[in-house]
Amino acid sequence: MKGLIFSVKRYSVHDGPGIRVTFFMKGCPLSCWWCHNPEGISPEPEKVVQKNKIGEKEFSIVEDAGKLFSVDEILGILEKERAFITHSKGGVTFSGGEPMLQCEFLIEALKACKDAGYHTAVDTSGYSSTENYRSVIPFTDLFLFDIKHIDDTMHLKYTGVSNFLILENLLLLLHSPGDVIIRIPVIPGVNDDSGSMNDIRQLLINFKTDNLKKINLLPYHKTGSSKYNKFNIPYRMGSIEPPSKGRIQELKEFFCEVGVKVKIGG
Amino acid sequence: MKITERVKQLRQQSLNAVEKISAERALLITQFYKSDQARELSAPVRRARAFEYLLKNKKIYIGEGELIVGERGPSPKETPTYPEINLHSLKDLETLNSREKVSFRVDEEVRAIYKNEIIPFWEGISNRDRIISLMTPEWIGAYNAGVFTEFQEQRAPGHTALGYRMFRTGFLQLKEEIRESISCLDYYNDPEAFDKSEELKAMDIACDAIIMYANRHADELEQLAKTEDSSERKKELHRMAAICRKVPANAPETVHEMLQHYWFIHLGVITELNPWDSFNPGRLDQHLYPVYKKEMEKGSISKDELYDLLGCFWVKFNNHPSPPKMGVTAYESSTYTDFCLINLGGVKPDGTDAVNEMSYILLDVIKEMRLLQPGSMVQISKKSPDRFIHKALDIIKTGFGQPSCFNTDSIIQELLRQGKNIVDARNGGASGCVETGAFGTEAYWLTGYFSLPKALELTLNDGFDKRTNRLVGIETGYADDYKSFEDLVEAFRSQVNYLIDIKIRGNNVIEKIFARWMPVPFLSLLVEDCISNGKDYNNGGARYNTSYIQGVGLGSVTDMLTSIRYNIYDRKKISHEELKIALDADFTGYEQIQYDLIYNTPKFGNDDEYADQQAVAVFEIYYDAVNGRPTSRGGVHRINLLPTTSHVYFGSVIGATPDGRKAFKPLSEGISPSQGVDKQGPTSVIKSASKIDHLRTGGTLLNQKFAPSFFEDEESYDNLTALIRTYFSLDGHHIQFNVVNAETLRDAQKHPELYRDLIVRVAGYSDYFNDLGEDLQDEIIARTEHEEV
Repeated sequence: MKGLIFSVKRYSVHDGPGIRVTFFMKGCPLSCWWCHNPEGISPEPEKVVQKNKIGEKEFSIVEDAGKLFSVDEILGILEKERAFITHSKGGVTFSGGEPMLQCEFLIEALKACKDAGYHTAVDTSGYSSTENYRSVIPFTDLFLFDIKHIDDTMHLKYTGVSNFLILENLLLLLHSPGDVIIRIPVIPGVNDDSGSMNDIRQLLINFKTDNLKKINLLPYHKTGSSKYNKFNIPYRMGSIEPPSKGRIQELKEFFCEVGVKVKIGG
Repeated sequence: MKITERVKQLRQQSLNAVEKISAERALLITQFYKSDQARELSAPVRRARAFEYLLKNKKIYIGEGELIVGERGPSPKETPTYPEINLHSLKDLETLNSREKVSFRVDEEVRAIYKNEIIPFWEGISNRDRIISLMTPEWIGAYNAGVFTEFQEQRAPGHTALGYRMFRTGFLQLKEEIRESISCLDYYNDPEAFDKSEELKAMDIACDAIIMYANRHADELEQLAKTEDSSERKKELHRMAAICRKVPANAPETVHEMLQHYWFIHLGVITELNPWDSFNPGRLDQHLYPVYKKEMEKGSISKDELYDLLGCFWVKFNNHPSPPKMGVTAYESSTYTDFCLINLGGVKPDGTDAVNEMSYILLDVIKEMRLLQPGSMVQISKKSPDRFIHKALDIIKTGFGQPSCFNTDSIIQELLRQGKNIVDARNGGASGCVETGAFGTEAYWLTGYFSLPKALELTLNDGFDKRTNRLVGIETGYADDYKSFEDLVEAFRSQVNYLIDIKIRGNNVIEKIFARWMPVPFLSLLVEDCISNGKDYNNGGARYNTSYIQGVGLGSVTDMLTSIRYNIYDRKKISHEELKIALDADFTGYEQIQYDLIYNTPKFGNDDEYADQQAVAVFEIYYDAVNGRPTSRGGVHRINLLPTTSHVYFGSVIGATPDGRKAFKPLSEGISPSQGVDKQGPTSVIKSASKIDHLRTGGTLLNQKFAPSFFEDEESYDNLTALIRTYFSLDGHHIQFNVVNAETLRDAQKHPELYRDLIVRVAGYSDYFNDLGEDLQDEIIARTEHEEV
C-alpha cells in the first residue's frame, strides 16, 4: 500500500516537539480560504509547472505534485534523520492536506514508525469519521488539532464544511491516550474578532483535559498566494494583510486563561 | 554586562581610527640590517638583535584612558610592514591607498621613505624573492594556473596560540631555562650543539628585549602620571606602570597582570615577524578563571573592574588590522581581520567539562563589544551544558557571525591520531579559521590552499591549463579517453598526486628557508620544547610540527564528478565531447545543457548517496596524497578542508565546470555544498558533510546560513542545540551559523555607508560586509536568498 505525499520536510521544527520529518499527505476535504498548501487539496496526483531561470532564459519543467510513497520509503527517510530525531527528542509528523483522508495508509505508517521507535504526530483538521480517529489513536503520540471557528455558519463559509464532526472528534481525542496541541489559525476578518476568539477559548476551557498540552496561534501569512496561480485555484483572501504583532501578542495573553502554554507559531 | 564609559570611548576610537601604513618598522629593520653588527651575526642572533632593536626604538603609544597598553605601530591601526619578508613596491602602496576595500592610507612621507630607503635596500633580497627564485618551473606553473597558493610567500608561518604554561610563566623564568639548556649542550656527541647555543643565545636576547620593552612602557606611564591632573587616572597610571615592571618578566597573578602579560607577548610575536593569524590567547577562559577566582575571593577586583579590563583588552585586538599584502594579492585580498580566535569552553586537562563562570563572562564581553577582532568560538564537548550552547546561540542570533561552534571531542581525537599526548590534546583547540592545534606545544603551519576542482579540470584536459596556456599537470589523457568513470577517477588521483608532489617539494624548500634565514627566537620562547631542544620554532623546535595543505572546493569537485558520472557514464545523456563544447562556450547557446546539469543532476549536500560517494572518494584521494608526508623540519604533512576566501580566487581562474557552474564564478567553500544546491535543509547538509572522515583532518569548515526565524525562542534553541550535537556526534569538526537576510544584504550593497557595522560570516571568520569584494558579497546574498526560500 502506498500513500500520496506532496512534500517531505526535514528539519521540521514547527510541527511537534524536537526535530522532525513532516510528510504532507495529499487530499483534503476542507477548502479553507487561507490554505497555504493548495497543492494539498486535491486527492489526485497533479502536475505543476516549475519555472527556473538560467541567466535571462526561463525554463519550465513539469513536476509531480504528489508522489506515492510506501511505508518502507517513509522509514528509509526517517532512518536518515534518526540521529537528529534522537538528539532532539523529535519524531515524525503526518500533515497535509488531511492525512486522515488516507486513513488506511496512515495507520500502517504510524504503526511502523512507532515500532521503529519514533514519536508520532498527526496534524489534522479534525474532519474525518470518528471511527477513523479511533483506529489511529493507538499509534499516535500527539495530535495537532485545528480549530478555526466555533460558529458553524462561518465555519461552513470559510472551510467548506461544518464543524460539528470536528468538535466531536476533538472531545474524543481529549479523552484518549495521545497528547493534543490545539492550533488556531488567526485570520483577519474571519476569526480574529474578540467574539470568535472568545468562543474558541470558552470551548477549550470547557473541553480541557490533561491531554491538552499547548495552544499554537498561527498568524495568517501570505506565502500561499503565489502557489494558487500555479494550481489554477482562485485565491479568495484578496489583499488581506497578516494580523499585527500586537494583536497576536494580545491573543496570546487572552488564551493563557485556558491554563496551558500558548505559543505563537508551531 | 554594561560597557563602561571608558571602554565605550576606546571602542569608538578604534572603530573611527583610519588604517594607515606606518614606515616605522620598515625603517628600523632596514637601519638594523644595514649595520655592521647585523652582517656578522648568525641568523638566530641577528633576528634576536633585530627584535631588540625594534623594541628599543619604536615609539611607545599610551592611549587616553587605556588600561592595557602597547601598540604594534606608532598608534592604533597604524600598520607596519615587513620588508624582510615581502617588499611593497610604490605601486603596491598606491594600490593599498586607493583600493576600495580595506584601504590603508599611505602618506607622502611613507612613500618617500619607501622610495629612498626601503626599496633600494630590500629590492631582490626579501624572503619572498628568495622563495620565488628557489621554486621549480613546475611549481611556478601550478601556482600561476591557480592550482595552489603559498602561505609563506608574504607572511611568516603562524597559526599558533599561546598555551597554558606561558600564562603562568615569566620571561625571567625562561632565562633560567635557557641557561639550563645551554649548560646541557653536549659538544662531544651532538653535532648541532653549536647551532643550538646560537639559537639559545638568541632566545635569551629576545627575553631581555621584551622585558625592556615592557619597562619602556612603565617609564612612559610614570612620566604621564607626573603631568596627569586627575588623581584617579594618576593612580591608575602608577598601577599600570607597576604591572609593566612586573610582567612579562614575572608570572602574572591578577587578571590585569595576565591580560597585560599576554598583550606584551602578542605584540612581541607580531613585531618580530608577520605570522599568519597574528597571535592568539587560545583558551582564554581557562587561563583567566583561576586568577579571577582568587581575586574575587580576596575582593581585589569587582565585576565592573573586570569588564572594564576585558573591554580594554578586546579593543586592543581591533586596533591591529591584518598586515597589508603586496602584488596581485594586495588587489585581491582585502580582509581586515587577522584571525585571532579566542576559544571558550572545551574540556580540562583531566577530561572534565571546562565551561566555567569566565566562559559566560567572556561570552557577555563578545556580545557587548561586537567587534570584528578578536574572533571567538565555543568548544562544545559532549560534556558541555546546553546552557553554554544557548548562550552562544544568543549571540549568533544577532547575526554578527560570532562565536562559531567547534567539536572538542573531534579536536581531541584529531590531535591524538596525530600522536599528541592526551593532556596536550585536551589543552588544544582551533585557531585561525578552523585549524586544529595543540596550543603552546605545536608549530602547525598552513602552507597553502589546494584547488581540487582545478585538479579535475586538468584531468579532463590532459594536464593542460587553457588560461595560462601551458602544461601544468601530468598528461593523463583527455576527457573522452576515459572509458569508464573509474578510469577518470584514477586519472584524477594521478593528477592530484602529481600536483601535491609539486606543492610538497616547494614546502620543504620554503620551510628550510625560514629555518635558515628567518628564525623567530621570540616565538620560540613561547612554544614548548623549543628551549629544551635548543631549536627554533621555524626549525622544528616545537614538541609537535605539522604542515597543512588546505583542500578547497570539495562541494564543487564532488558535483563536477557526480555530474560526469551521472550524465555521461550512467545515464548517457550527453557525451564528453558535447559537454566540452558547452563548457568551452561557457554555456552560451547551451543553456538547456546547463539547466540539466544544475537542476536534473544529483548534488552534494542532500544526503544523496549517489553524489556523496564522490565526496568520500575525493577526500580519500586527497588524504592519501598528503597525509604522513614528511616535512623538512621533522614534522608531518596533514590535510584540512577550509577556504577562507580562496574559493573565490580559485573560482576566478577556472572555466565553466560540469556541474553547471559558469566560468570564473566562486567554488563551493569549505565542506559546504555548492551555493544553493542543498535542497533538503540543514540535516541533509550535515549528513552529507559527515560522510568524510573529519577525524583524519586538522579541521573542516561547514557554513550554514539561517534566517533569524530559526532563533525565535527556547524551543528553537533546543533544536539548534540538537542539530549541533548531532553533527558533532557524527564527528563533525565545526559548524557556523550566518544569521542574516538577503534583503538587508542587498540594501547594504547599495548603501554601504549605512551599514558600516554590518558583519557577516564569510567562511571561517567574519568580516565587514562593506569590505568584501562585490563578487563575494553577491555570493553571500545568493546563499542567503536560497536559505530564505
